[in-house]
Amino acid sequence: MSTDNFNDYVSSSFERLERRLNGHVNGPLHNLRRRALRQFIDVGIPTRRMEDWKYTSVINVINDAQFSSEKGAPAPAPAALPNEDVYHIVITPEGLDSAPFEADGLTVEVLTDELVIADERVRSTIGAILPIDTTPFVAMNTALHTTGVVIRITGNVTKPIHLDLIAHDASPDPLPSPRILVLASEHASATIVETVRSNPAAVLLPVCEIECQANAHLHWTRVLDDANNRHISAMAANVYGNGSVTVTTCIVDAAFVRNDVVIRLLEPGAQGFLFGVSVLDGQQFADNHTVVDHVMPHCHSEELYKGVYDDGSTGVFNGKIFVRQDAQKTTAYQSNRSLLLSPNAQVNAKPQLEIWADDVKCSHGATTGALDADAIFYLQARGIPKAEARRLLTMAFAMEVLERVPVESLRQSLERRMEQRLSR
Amino acid sequence: MQPLLEITNLHAGIEGRDILKGINLTVNPGEVHAIMGPNGSGKSTLASVLAGREDYSVSEGSVVFKGRDLLDLAPEERAGEGLFLAFQYPVEIPGVSTANFIKASVNAVRAYRGQDALEPAAFLALMRERMALVDMAPTFLSRALNEGFSGGEKKRAEVFQMAMLEPSLAVLDETDSGLDIDALRIVASGVNALRSPDRSFVVITHYQRLLSHIVPDVVHVLHNGVIVRSGGKELALELEERGYDWIRAEQGSEV
Repeated sequence: MSTDNFNDYVSSSFERLERRLNGHVNGPLHNLRRRALRQFIDVGIPTRRMEDWKYTSVINVINDAQFSSEKGAPAPAPAALPNEDVYHIVITPEGLDSAPFEADGLTVEVLTDELVIADERVRSTIGAILPIDTTPFVAMNTALHTTGVVIRITGNVTKPIHLDLIAHDASPDPLPSPRILVLASEHASATIVETVRSNPAAVLLPVCEIECQANAHLHWTRVLDDANNRHISAMAANVYGNGSVTVTTCIVDAAFVRNDVVIRLLEPGAQGFLFGVSVLDGQQFADNHTVVDHVMPHCHSEELYKGVYDDGSTGVFNGKIFVRQDAQKTTAYQSNRSLLLSPNAQVNAKPQLEIWADDVKCSHGATTGALDADAIFYLQARGIPKAEARRLLTMAFAMEVLERVPVESLRQSLERRMEQRLSR
Repeated sequence: MQPLLEITNLHAGIEGRDILKGINLTVNPGEVHAIMGPNGSGKSTLASVLAGREDYSVSEGSVVFKGRDLLDLAPEERAGEGLFLAFQYPVEIPGVSTANFIKASVNAVRAYRGQDALEPAAFLALMRERMALVDMAPTFLSRALNEGFSGGEKKRAEVFQMAMLEPSLAVLDETDSGLDIDALRIVASGVNALRSPDRSFVVITHYQRLLSHIVPDVVHVLHNGVIVRSGGKELALELEERGYDWIRAEQGSEV
């Protein structure tokens, strides 16, 4: 499908969506959708000529979703959170699959024009934390999202919040685009686990905006653990004084992933942590694009992305760190480490630091290599067969990120899944 | 009595360079053999070849261990058969705790020998008992294997692993290098505690000092890839006194 054809598809999807909407054709959310549609039509689907998409070809992935007549089995129950007591929020292309609810320190609502009109905080954040010109897919999601959810965290939410994103077979929409807005109030805290149930005919295009007010702490873990996953997402967090946002991306199995994550540290003491681990084989592809923006002084950020690539799989890491002129006493550390298990696997790693302040501590490092032959021999000399030695060392490599997953049962199930993958 | 280890006319090298040029060595059950020699004589190559390091190739000769062709076995099979190499430079393994490593190692060797895995409680008790042999604190169990260990801690960890794996033949490759006197004494007493009539040792060292703690039955001098002299423990003392120069002088025509 050409860019023009795809623009037509997006436009006609938008018209269909407009017909379904009752009233509010001039509501603020609807106007935002219209602007986003124009933005998308202007720019079109990204091509490899664009710097940020140089290594990532999306057109074929989108085409597969559009024209695939293949119908997979119904989406399975999420395996990622076994026996865990959670607040379960199920988001399907048709809407929120549970009634809006309110629990201790947590409120879940559907994003509507009414809500945007009534609520100043929603109005000032939706489409502002991730503006429509961020990427073409943010514009597309803003124009076409059929399910929007506003999650307010007002206290210390003790149970994990499970965001269960579903793109199932029954859906007529091959490009489901859930929209999520998380508003964490001062001193609030929560752990969010996002999982995806996909099928071979869909590409999921979620967009998440996060506002983390002073002294609030959010830990977001994203899990992709199904070989059917095709996922192009964007997430951004605005973090205020002494607040912190941690985003941990665990790609245990997925066909195609492009994750854009932006963290802005907007008041002194704000902290951002970005961790990621990808384990890929076959022709799988994962691209982590991150931006950490140090706007004010005395903020801290840490970034560690690790990847294990077998067969002909490909990893991309692009990590930008901006340290603005006012952001003195910034500490910002970035590390990207890749393990290539096959001569045909490849990684494109690009750290980018732009520093305008003069009193800062920043570092970045990228390494790519094979397993250490001395370490394999050492394990063999202790009786451990070579294949198991390789698996043990590979798991150890991945564990540095996995051990940061804050929900114990989730960490264990991810560990098991990863071990199974490395054994196959 | 069948020898535990019989090395016959062993020639081996690395990257096309010959290092061992016809080693003959017989080790019987319960014996402690010391192999001494100047730097570059082939001591560590012998250890690596016995353990099965892939980058070394054997061009001639044979090694028979417990009646089996050792050179035909993968490194992990050699460990399963009861061969243990204490490394000169133990490898740091970030992300693998010492306890998990030992568990994987012991259970792999037990599986090779057709034994069931040990129960976790029995295993923990055994680890604590064997750690005490080398004065290691149980806190080491949760630390990544060898990562950030001092030189002495690494060597003690090697002897601890040996104690857990209960080999029939332990090859100690310069276990004394980088040790101060106290660490040397701890390591040596750990080794001595493991001496038994059915366990043999090949102690590779540059210096005599380890051998005053681990007293050998036989001392061999390795020079330029061959054993040029064998004798009792007095030979080690003689080497300590006279250095290696007289050996070089004796072999002068070949150097």
